[in-house]
Amino acid sequence: MNPAKLLERLLQLIPVMLGVSAIVFIMMLVTPGDPVDIMLGEQQATPEQRQALRKDMGLDLLAPQRFVHFLQNAAVGNFGISYFHRRPVIEVIMERLPATIELTLAALVIGLVIAVPLGVLAAVRKNTWMDRLATVGSLLGISMPGFWFGLLLMMLFGVWMQWLPISGRSDLASQVPVVTHFLTVDALLALNFTVFRSAMGHLAMPALTLGLPMAAVLMRVTRGSMLEVLQQDYVTFAQAKGLTRQRVLFSHALKNALIPTVTMAALEVGSLLGGSMIVETVFGWPGLGRVVVESIFTRNYPLIQAAILLYALTYVLVNFLADLLYTQLNPRVRL
Amino acid sequence: MKALKQLMLLGLSTLVLGSGASQAADIRVGFGLDALTLDPGNHRSRETETIIRNLYDGLLTRDSKMQVVPELVSSWKQTDVTTYEFKLRQGVKFHSGDEMTSDDVKFTFDRLIKKDMIDGKSSPRAGLLGPLKEVVAVDKYTVQLKLEKPWAILPSMLPFQEVVSKAFVQKVGDKGMATQANGTGPFKLVEWRRGDSITMERFAGYYGGSPSIPPVGPARADRVIFKIIPENASRVAALLAGDVDIATELPVHMIKQIESSRNAQVLKVRGTRSFYVSLNNTKPPFDNPLIRKAANHALDKKLILDRVMQNAATPINGVLSPDAFGFEKDLPAYDYNPAKVKQLLTQAGYPNGIDVTLDVEGSFAEIAQAIGSVLTKAGIRTKVVVGEGTVLRTKWLQDKNKTGNMWLTSWGNGSLDPEDIFAPTLGTGDRGNSAGYSNLVVDGLLSAASTETNPAKRADLFSKAQRQVNADAPWIFLWVPQDIYGVSKRLKGWQPSADSRVNLHRAYLE
Repeated sequence: MNPAKLLERLLQLIPVMLGVSAIVFIMMLVTPGDPVDIMLGEQQATPEQRQALRKDMGLDLLAPQRFVHFLQNAAVGNFGISYFHRRPVIEVIMERLPATIELTLAALVIGLVIAVPLGVLAAVRKNTWMDRLATVGSLLGISMPGFWFGLLLMMLFGVWMQWLPISGRSDLASQVPVVTHFLTVDALLALNFTVFRSAMGHLAMPALTLGLPMAAVLMRVTRGSMLEVLQQDYVTFAQAKGLTRQRVLFSHALKNALIPTVTMAALEVGSLLGGSMIVETVFGWPGLGRVVVESIFTRNYPLIQAAILLYALTYVLVNFLADLLYTQLNPRVRL
Repeated sequence: MKALKQLMLLGLSTLVLGSGASQAADIRVGFGLDALTLDPGNHRSRETETIIRNLYDGLLTRDSKMQVVPELVSSWKQTDVTTYEFKLRQGVKFHSGDEMTSDDVKFTFDRLIKKDMIDGKSSPRAGLLGPLKEVVAVDKYTVQLKLEKPWAILPSMLPFQEVVSKAFVQKVGDKGMATQANGTGPFKLVEWRRGDSITMERFAGYYGGSPSIPPVGPARADRVIFKIIPENASRVAALLAGDVDIATELPVHMIKQIESSRNAQVLKVRGTRSFYVSLNNTKPPFDNPLIRKAANHALDKKLILDRVMQNAATPINGVLSPDAFGFEKDLPAYDYNPAKVKQLLTQAGYPNGIDVTLDVEGSFAEIAQAIGSVLTKAGIRTKVVVGEGTVLRTKWLQDKNKTGNMWLTSWGNGSLDPEDIFAPTLGTGDRGNSAGYSNLVVDGLLSAASTETNPAKRADLFSKAQRQVNADAPWIFLWVPQDIYGVSKRLKGWQPSADSRVNLHRAYLE
């Protein structure tokens, strides 16, 4: 892709971010509930004390002023003070973001590692018991609510077998130098396999809960597109040339068949980000999703704004990345 | 490729073998919410305070019977209607080793009540100290709190505040206070992993805690870990798997699951929150006292307590918990009496019953459904409408023109003094008066009680007010629920407390 195109794509981000900011701001404006009231709860406060809090939160300004303020500050990376943590929003988000990214990536890996081989297998062995098993399995994966599935895993591996820890991200003894903020990676970098095992153990159930439903969706997509590609002339031609079955499947067919899978996977990152809110709650995973949910209930506007912008940015960038991947999978695709 | 294979094998072995065992001398608490900050002066969150209370002590605290007792003070007295004098214990050390003196106490309260004292902002806790206007350090161990006007509940509100070290705040700054701790409490901070856990260890230099709550001495557990597990079912799972020793704030339907386990038991304590169905007294049909009484007679409270609440609640006939100051125990109860409901409704001009809605937020929907079906059977045909908490509070507490019929709601009474539940929920136009109830007699009694300093006379005023409210029936009076904890059978020296604190100073594992 040429640099001009890249720049164009990046510039497209600006209206998207502005639009998202405006929509989130308006939604919060029309949602009933006042952060000051929520914070004070049932306890008494004088009008002066109320006013002082209101001023601290910047709520003494009119809505349009607040929005302009937000945009001005956000442009230079200042997202304000979280009402309830009473610390900069960016600080609170950065404490939690690595855990969410680690979980999302792990789920994505699980999703792809399960989906692609199974999808290919189901397509190649169409209408056999393997295909049917994979189809039924994916149907189950799609229809099972993540919340319930997570609890099920927890009862099985956490309570009965006691193989995996129920919740959290690490053991208390887990201490490794922080490099990437991803505990699994940091443990590997420090060559500390005890911590690595503990980190993987904590990651396993939440990542499976998040990754399996995605695997189910991706498997169906891969199977479908693989079936389609296998019927195309160039595949028949490749077979006629006398290429090995493996070569035909993996070098010729799969590469093309993966394009819809990549598209779907990129779109699924959206549901991963959404789903992580639930999974983080169930498994006590100290990620961003949980803070966002708590913030929505407490009308913690600055944090909601910043987090949703971040989600939107991630989503757009991941899909951009998917576009780049197409050009690799099929050189005829030009961006 | 080989490295990758090894990595995958390692991953697999992790899945199979899991992670290491835990140390026995650690007490682990499965707790629903993380602390927002570790600064005792810069939050307004009960959960945050529960965690902080293990690191920081206060001037006063509460014993297991919820009586206010001295903690960092050796004695206190009221010297005139607006002045309270506190004698500090001598030789109390902060975790840093510095001695706590009246300077620290003055600094603590100034930081709470004066404007712009915390990083240029005002403390959200100022309102908890009512009309406190000045703090005077008389000598090294004597402090006076001066009020703008008489405020009888000052001692009941002081257990909510913890003393910070002036030198430490000046050293680390208000920003540093958010993540570091230097208290006088039984535990000192080891590590706070945001959203995951807060670890504390025994403070060897602890002065021993309130002498009114034996045993006095350093903490018995080596370490205390608050593990943050937001989901109820997951907290219970962690308890059953032995990952935590205490699982806090559980719903009633989980009692059976815990009781059937060999290692854990259920401990309950009556909380401080009164539940009721607020009736809209400003609009038909509930502007008519006959219909409000009919609604009270229509509710088969015993049935619901038995079937839905699993008897983990105490029925009330007024606003106050039986543990509160001035509780009137001889209030008449509205018995379940369908014939009387029919008669009252007919008398009010509704021989065929009425159709009403019952607002409720999601977490209490099940109880509301039960209440609704019981009322419906008695002729008050109730449709349950589930809404979001904040939306409902805006509708019932802020909107001038009240539109709903009924709201299943509650009000907390952490001080166990009527002052912060009675007037707020039933005083004319007060901040929690969702029913829109207004009775000048009650207003007069409450106003007299708020400045009355003689406890017996004050109790008498509240007693009269409770009788009047009971007769007017602005609400369907419900109950005070018990707080439910799942606790490992190995845990000793700890009982749940009505103020939902989890103080682990005296707890240990057997």
